[in-house]
Amino acid sequence: MKAFEVLHPGVHTTIQDLGRPGFMKYGTPASGVADRFSARVANSLVGNSPGAALLEITLFRLELLALNDFAIAVTGGNLSPMVNGNPLPMWQTFFLKKGDRVAFRARKQGFRAYLAVQGGFFGQNFLGSRSVFVRGLMGSILKAGEILETEGAGVKPTSPKSLAKDMIPPYPADNFLRVILGPQEDRFTPKGIETFLSSEYRVSPQSDRMGYRLQGPAIEHLHGADIISEPIARGAIQVPGDGLPILLLWDAQVSGGYTKIANVISADLDRVAQIMPGESLRFRAVTLKEAHELLRKEWACFEQVQRFILEQTG
Amino acid sequence: MPDWPRMRPSGDSAVLLEFDNRIDPEINRSVRSLALAIESDPLPGINEVLPAYRSLMVTYDPLKIEYPRILKKIKIWTEKAARIDLPPGRLFRLPTVYGGVHGPDLKRVAETVKLSPAEVIRVFSETRFLVYFIGFICGLAYLGGLPESLRVPRLPTPRTLVPAGSVGLAGGQANAISTDQPSGFNYIGRTFTTLYHPQIFPPIPFLSGDEVQFISVSEEGALEERGKKATDFL
Repeated sequence: MKAFEVLHPGVHTTIQDLGRPGFMKYGTPASGVADRFSARVANSLVGNSPGAALLEITLFRLELLALNDFAIAVTGGNLSPMVNGNPLPMWQTFFLKKGDRVAFRARKQGFRAYLAVQGGFFGQNFLGSRSVFVRGLMGSILKAGEILETEGAGVKPTSPKSLAKDMIPPYPADNFLRVILGPQEDRFTPKGIETFLSSEYRVSPQSDRMGYRLQGPAIEHLHGADIISEPIARGAIQVPGDGLPILLLWDAQVSGGYTKIANVISADLDRVAQIMPGESLRFRAVTLKEAHELLRKEWACFEQVQRFILEQTG
Repeated sequence: MPDWPRMRPSGDSAVLLEFDNRIDPEINRSVRSLALAIESDPLPGINEVLPAYRSLMVTYDPLKIEYPRILKKIKIWTEKAARIDLPPGRLFRLPTVYGGVHGPDLKRVAETVKLSPAEVIRVFSETRFLVYFIGFICGLAYLGGLPESLRVPRLPTPRTLVPAGSVGLAGGQANAISTDQPSGFNYIGRTFTTLYHPQIFPPIPFLSGDEVQFISVSEEGALEERGKKATDFL
């Protein structure tokens, strides 16, 4: 089914799903939605499986014309979604009529919003995923005039669903990101580690889905920033020779030769997705055990939300 | 049990296994043997096994497997790896045009190493480079085995765009850029065979352990192979 005509493509809008894990040894990052909770919830609200392809919208100015009657849900950062000039309610199912105009006007909170459509968006499949990864020649950002189609033709209309108020994540949450030190924490001076854990870092404008460059006090190395190139995990914080950390994210290179001081824990990566360039953040070290407990807690929270949505059927 | 590899967490979903801290074909064989031991005896919850020069990363889902269980299993995998006979790598012989617009740094490299451009081409094209591993972005192969006589530093300022297929060297390494991308390597030639295709599995032709040779051909000869898969030149 034809869902939308793109009237204005916005700042950086891409089709994403849960990505293509499993190809790093072929030099391909997993990519996929930056804020997994918001994306999964958006899909659940329109009756899709949590991993269906949807739009990841950055900042504002995206404008879409509905070409049919169908259900959508908008979640994630609040970028002032509007329908025909009126506020479009977020975190709930919304039924569009043919000719409706959906626009994202101004950023209020967060940085990335997700728009799921009943049936899921159609997108070109690269290595088993529809996630756009521009540098890997896997699709491109949205263009004006493009027609967005859904995957299924006759998806049955879904009944409206919504989240309870206290299930909606606050943006911004506090700006502390929890990290596990290493794997090269021994390549920094105690003073360098202290600088990293006690300073405030500002996300530079040269930040994107590959990584966030951070501005703040330089971190002191013990003896140089170079290591023999090795694989890079998602959320790794590498510190090149200038001492300024770079947080490597969803579309990052899969290997590199700079020391890594720490790695953001998986449970905090969704929050990273909602931090906008210009905002500040700080780091706090936790143990591996704590990181795993926090991830289990985060997953339990998603499952609870998921059950809450499914119970509204009928 | 030897005390190698060293194991340490790389975030909460990956463990880094490190061998001796050198770029060396024998150490890389230990890496590849361990990678193969893990892949041939998979454990639910383990997602990916990523070999590199002298280390490998094992990624896992902490919701599906406990970290101590992985560490225990790594000891078993390491013992198995010692008994693994690695399959021989393949040899790719890629037609390459050297110098001119396709190898803008050839003259300067020749001056730096005090050889004639023809000598640089001969030494480089006779070298069988070892694919240590695949990484960076778009399946870049990390090639080792550059002769000592061709050691040149990286460019002080990287080029913002180097065309796909460019064949270059820096430090003790060589590479063939898989897609148009920035690079600080010195480029002395170009192959027009396809080194990356995002819709084919696997998207890149090489695997760690393979060998690559950049055979010198005329510009006409190189252009004739435009768009052919690198695997056609085994």
